Amino acid sequence: MGELLRVEGLSAGYSGKKVLETMNFSVNAGELFALLGANGSGKSTLLRAVCGLLPYEGSCRMEGREIRKMSERERARRISCLTQRGGVQLPLSVLDVVLMGFNPLLGLLENPGKSHRQKARESLALAGVEELAERDFLTLSEGQRQMVLLARAFVRDCPLLVLDEPDSALDFQNRHRMMALLSRLCREKGMGILLCSHDANFAMEYADRLLLLHQGNLVGDLSMGTVTVPQLESSLSQLYGPVEVLEHRGLRIMIKGETR
Amino acid sequence: MESRNHQKIIFAAAVLVMVAAFGISLFVGRYSIQWGEIGGDTMSTRVFFSLRLPRTCMALLAGVGLSVAGSVYQSLFRNPLAAPDIIGASSGASAGAAAAILWLGGGAVATALCAFAGGFVAVLLALALSAASGRRGAITVVLSGIAVNAVAQAVLMLMKLTADPEKQLASIEFWVMGSFGDMTMDKLLGAAPWALAGLAGLFLLHRQVLLLGLDEEEARALGVRTTLMRRCILLLATLVTGAIISVTGLISFIGLIAPHLARLLTRSSRFSTTVLSGILGGALLLIADCLARSIGSSEVPVSIITSLLGAPFLFWLMCRKGEDHG
Repeated sequence: MGELLRVEGLSAGYSGKKVLETMNFSVNAGELFALLGANGSGKSTLLRAVCGLLPYEGSCRMEGREIRKMSERERARRISCLTQRGGVQLPLSVLDVVLMGFNPLLGLLENPGKSHRQKARESLALAGVEELAERDFLTLSEGQRQMVLLARAFVRDCPLLVLDEPDSALDFQNRHRMMALLSRLCREKGMGILLCSHDANFAMEYADRLLLLHQGNLVGDLSMGTVTVPQLESSLSQLYGPVEVLEHRGLRIMIKGETR
Repeated sequence: MESRNHQKIIFAAAVLVMVAAFGISLFVGRYSIQWGEIGGDTMSTRVFFSLRLPRTCMALLAGVGLSVAGSVYQSLFRNPLAAPDIIGASSGASAGAAAAILWLGGGAVATALCAFAGGFVAVLLALALSAASGRRGAITVVLSGIAVNAVAQAVLMLMKLTADPEKQLASIEFWVMGSFGDMTMDKLLGAAPWALAGLAGLFLLHRQVLLLGLDEEEARALGVRTTLMRRCILLLATLVTGAIISVTGLISFIGLIAPHLARLLTRSSRFSTTVLSGILGGALLLIADCLARSIGSSEVPVSIITSLLGAPFLFWLMCRKGEDHG
């Protein structure tokens, strides 16, 4: 699979204070990449920089092109980004919210047509929320809103999907459903997905690679296919304190370890 | 399907009310006109074409324009109470009109031009301040607008202090209260092209207005050049409001009531709802103007009527939202 995103020596921060220090990693097509780290470790900052929403130093290239040099529209055609704070403030149907996802593909004065509406419904069906299409977005639960915004994120088939805590409002079952769907999108459509999460167990179950962030520094880049349990245990302990990783029916599960 | 039929019925009813209000407005007033009297060189014909028709057309245009602009402001600033005041357009226009009354003799053309220029300068100043702050986002524009609004209000108060209390102060106060009383065909033809051009621009960019109603980063992630687009849309909305209030004076509440009423009826904020808010705004202002010229022995400024209608509506809306959210 080809390389989609290459990050080299990337630093970023707010008001002159660096939050991220010289990041280096790459994301390939067909790869689900999970960013893990404690609160304030710089996960969202990294995702915002990758999406071109935050100025950065160093290099961040999408399909060989420097992201900061792209216009908003060019970026949005290649990278679909789901931010943490999202959604509409005024009443609008779910279908209209998903149709907003086509904006980078439409002319300034152009409106979405029949084919866009059809694609938006398919996207909602893929996210398992097609029955919400005509509902007012504001009347949905947080979890339903998150699934709708996820449907909007993949409606235009971007090569790279960047998702900032897409599972934060989802229940156990919907979390599994969403992660399985993302994993399937990677395999079947060859998308690259970079997401950050607070749930290491879900990340270990579904992601192909884990990127570990601690206080703005990259402390681990683990391939789930080759990493061993002791390596996982020691890497995750850097983020969360003492933890144990258990293997059960082929799954790896993190539990809190004993303080020595 | 049921929802679409429901929307069609709402639209048809709104258009019907607007057309009826337009018809009534043409024939209501101190000088009573009958349909059969129009034609030939009669007093009724002259009153109809020189006073009643421009007044009614302007009330319709003002209702439509202020409601559409209000709807745009509310979406853009993600604030259900947003109105032209929020970025200083109304205060700037008032200061401009007062300057014309004080120093340019207060003629109709001078007052309209100065009010239009005042509104526009205030908005440009608010946009320039927000650009100079180096920060993105609707909130920066709102804060700059509040600052410009305060300065324009202070300038207006200073001008009122120096105004001749008998003539100039009364003229300023009357202008601020808004009226269609001295509407002429010239005023209508002077304001209408600007207002219609602004409206056309807003309708063409309606999808961008909705996108700007999202969180700043969310809109940028969807490919919107937020800063540029917000400025363009604000200038178009200012063109509409500036052109209208420059000849009518300030008209309160219409830009607030009509968009809320439209959203309440359609439970949506899409383009069709903006159009409906324009139709409802036109109908409401026509009705308010008919009341303004028929409830007393002398004409009442139309803002008094719109405020008296608007305040209870807002209170009802507030109670209703409280119920909705348990």
